[in-house]
Amino acid sequence: MSEANASGLAETEVKARALDLKSLDNPRAMKLYRRFDGIIILVLFTFLVLGIQIQFTLTAGDWDYWIDWRDRRWWPLVAPFSLLLFIAPFTYGIWERVRLPIMATAVTTLLCLVSWLSRYLNFYEFTHFPLSFTFPSTYIGLGILLDCALAISRSLIVSTLIGGGLFGALVYPINWSFMAPYKVPVEFNGMLMSVADMMGYQYIRTTTPEYLRIIEESTLRTFGGSVTPLTAVFSALCGMVVYAAFLWVGYKINGLDKFTKRIV
Amino acid sequence: MMKLIAGKTGLRTLLAGLVMVLLAGDALAHGERAQLASMRMRTVHWFDTKVEPLNVKVGDIVTVTGKLVTSEWWPKHMPSIEETVYLNIGVPGPTFLRLHSEVNGVPMMRSTAFPLGKVYEYKTVLRARVAGRYHVHPILNVKDAGSLVDKGTWLEVAENDSGAPFVNEITTLTGETIDLETYGLDGVYTWHLIWIAMGVAYLLYWLIRKELFIPRFIRIRELGSDRANELMTKKDFVVSSLFFTTALALILGGYLWAENKYPITIPLQTGLVEVEPIEIPTGGLEVVVDHATYDLAGRSLSMQLQLTNNSEGPLRIGEFLTANIRFLNPDVNEGEIYEGEEMVSKDGLTVSVDTIEPGQTVDVELVASDALWEQYRMTGLIHDPDSRFAGMIFYYDENGERFFQEVGGAVLPNFF
Repeated sequence: MSEANASGLAETEVKARALDLKSLDNPRAMKLYRRFDGIIILVLFTFLVLGIQIQFTLTAGDWDYWIDWRDRRWWPLVAPFSLLLFIAPFTYGIWERVRLPIMATAVTTLLCLVSWLSRYLNFYEFTHFPLSFTFPSTYIGLGILLDCALAISRSLIVSTLIGGGLFGALVYPINWSFMAPYKVPVEFNGMLMSVADMMGYQYIRTTTPEYLRIIEESTLRTFGGSVTPLTAVFSALCGMVVYAAFLWVGYKINGLDKFTKRIV
Repeated sequence: MMKLIAGKTGLRTLLAGLVMVLLAGDALAHGERAQLASMRMRTVHWFDTKVEPLNVKVGDIVTVTGKLVTSEWWPKHMPSIEETVYLNIGVPGPTFLRLHSEVNGVPMMRSTAFPLGKVYEYKTVLRARVAGRYHVHPILNVKDAGSLVDKGTWLEVAENDSGAPFVNEITTLTGETIDLETYGLDGVYTWHLIWIAMGVAYLLYWLIRKELFIPRFIRIRELGSDRANELMTKKDFVVSSLFFTTALALILGGYLWAENKYPITIPLQTGLVEVEPIEIPTGGLEVVVDHATYDLAGRSLSMQLQLTNNSEGPLRIGEFLTANIRFLNPDVNEGEIYEGEEMVSKDGLTVSVDTIEPGQTVDVELVASDALWEQYRMTGLIHDPDSRFAGMIFYYDENGERFFQEVGGAVLPNFF
């Protein structure tokens, strides 16, 4: 009995795999593979951009549309949760199959680009909202951290603890560099408002009344009142749990290939 | 042959679709006819709505004023306005800036709560921002119930003469005067470009290589999962470490930079404000609703009322208002019709008794009849789950002073 047969593979499968491996030394085959790779990138990235746009709109929607929704408590929890549950299954599949730590960066970068397109066409050109009120948040740096944690550690567990944790914890800091000006205080009709609140009041949204926002609702403030760091710690924990849970989902999805025919 | 038929069918479908798109009118209103008849009759009675001026230029001020009464016949199956409500304005997006809004003199930047059976006077000051023709509606957003819309008024906004870009300046508590139209965008663009460049650079590093998806798949399959990490090179490790360090440094550096540049910031503000309601100023007319019928064929609502005049002078009923539709009594001819006002039936109300003398108790039939019932889809009230009506009657004393109060009760349909 051959070694291949001992591993449970049929003779034809062993031969086919040997041919596949040999083809890597064949320039014509490699040229064909490169074309296929291009198609894979095109299909995969198209699917990712459509998928994340729909998924993020449905789950994080208004939190990312309006600057007066991005509070210190809910937005830093909702946004990474929504992103990581999409990123994790793809990361598992691509890592297991081709060892490319790119999915978090790809998803966050594509989301950023498509969000800008949407904000410009839908919000600015079509409905006249100023971009200063509707610019998207950025999560690209968090995606890079998550992918690099995987590339450096080469371990999904370590990347979950470090990358998933940082992804959750740093949502507020990464956006604060350009979001801080919108939290400068303003006095209006004898009441204190931030610039973002003021924009939410002045730029009329007929069916998005003020009370729909979920601002500072929860009990985290009871731990000494430090809302932002406490939310970051909690969000880091959530990031690890959500990422781990959906890596498992990816593992399960990845196992479905036993039902498919060999395609390469 | 089949291909030819399929091709012709496809072409026709395409042309039909194109014609429909080209002929479709603009959606200019806010669905005020779409709401259930009971929602419009028994939630909020809007009246005296005035939008002025009706022709402005970009940058000009428009004032919307009016009154509303919260109905005591509020449907029990609908979340109440007594919990959370927000005074809003129905315009197509931020074509106007909201400069000020108030209810009974209280500024309305936040949400509030309205007890039932009270009067509220509201005012919203707008500044025209985008040229166009707009249907402007006052709106109350009621939490968990949705939007309650007053009737609209058409308003023309022309371009301003100078053609200068629209500017919306405010002064912050830190003393800086800023234009909200473009405020903070330099920082937004800069940081987004930095991160997009980082993301693209990272992706290019991993995607531009001789062996990508299929070759790597083949090699990993050959190596097995235990040795798959051998595909990760030392260069991959170094480059990833560099990206990791740079990203972390940028995040933390950017955060500290912003903290230094904007040392005074506050969290987003929220909360409810309280508004003192105004009691309905009745003029001494006691109203008892005996019964009411809705005549489907005649498009009319008939109310049998018992009215007692407890005042010292004669009273005359001049108007019935329900679901934003005004039915005026032409014999009294007192109700003012504002410029541009819609949904008014000038002779839609007939009252069986012209004048109710002091101390007199009379049975009166009020008939509110007009095609507006059909036009504004009020015939749907026969499909309501609790078949009740409500509205406001307006009556006048001998000096022409106006009083109002709400009437309501069960309504029976008359199908034939």
